[in-house]
Amino acid sequence: MSHGHHHETSSGSARSPLAARVRAMEALLVEKGVVTEAEIQDNIRYMDSRSPANGARLVAHAWTDEGFKARLLSDGKAAAIEFGIDAVASPELVVVENTPEVHNLIVCTLCSCYPRNVLGRPPDWYKSFEYRSRAVREPRAVMREFGFEPPGETRVAVHDSTADVRYMVLPMRPPGTEGLDEEGLADLVTRDCLIGVNVPRTPALAG
Amino acid sequence: MSGPHDMGGEPAGPVGKEVREPEDWERIADAINAALGKKGLQTTDEHRRAIESLPNYRDLAYYERWASATEKLLVEKGILAKVEIDEKAAEIHHRWDGA
Repeated sequence: MSHGHHHETSSGSARSPLAARVRAMEALLVEKGVVTEAEIQDNIRYMDSRSPANGARLVAHAWTDEGFKARLLSDGKAAAIEFGIDAVASPELVVVENTPEVHNLIVCTLCSCYPRNVLGRPPDWYKSFEYRSRAVREPRAVMREFGFEPPGETRVAVHDSTADVRYMVLPMRPPGTEGLDEEGLADLVTRDCLIGVNVPRTPALAG
Repeated sequence: MSGPHDMGGEPAGPVGKEVREPEDWERIADAINAALGKKGLQTTDEHRRAIESLPNYRDLAYYERWASATEKLLVEKGILAKVEIDEKAAEIHHRWDGA
């Protein structure tokens, strides 16, 4: 029974030997009073409550408020906290802006560093050996697999995250979105856009 | 000196784009880590060192690496004994098999 090291999941992992060991460690830590069950549950709830929607709202607000955009680009963590996102426990957050000249892509080649306190747990593919290996070497080929490629004249900047510095992409506001409010704008911003493997779609024009 | 985790630039196949919800045991592994961190019983750097020194690093799924590393640290620090974890895990398996 091999995992194949190309998959982050295996069928039946819910009852795998390591799943049992995790539950065993949890039970023992609680029995010995090292941690409480409530602390474990609180941490689960906190991580479950983090979501790419937080990033989408930050982006939409930056698109509609130049002052906020400047603050987001100069100190992402402080701007997220100012905006009401519980990111106090977050390492430094660097927000990188896409422009016609530069498209940004985020990776963590060594593991899985990601702005979890804002966007939640990273997706499996972000942690996969394939993404970690290839994003720094052939970013355009990787983006094509997600159905997107920046124009040829646009430079691609790949940012390799660290334990202390996490990154998020500020995409360009799509044309044809002048009539949208912040909520409508945020709806255009997916997690893939915040990592940089894709960009927000221009909403279909009515008529 | 690079370890098994240092894979930036290596050749590799297509990126699998499947998106799934984490399983409960993965959520617990994640939460144990956060809780130990808040208690000052484990740092990110210690955990990474333990992950990156796993001999079977590339054969394990992500949270299996996390859990194996956490176990290694808890045992190293004398917070839990391996034999206790073995026994408790066997009990849990027994319960699952009976269910």
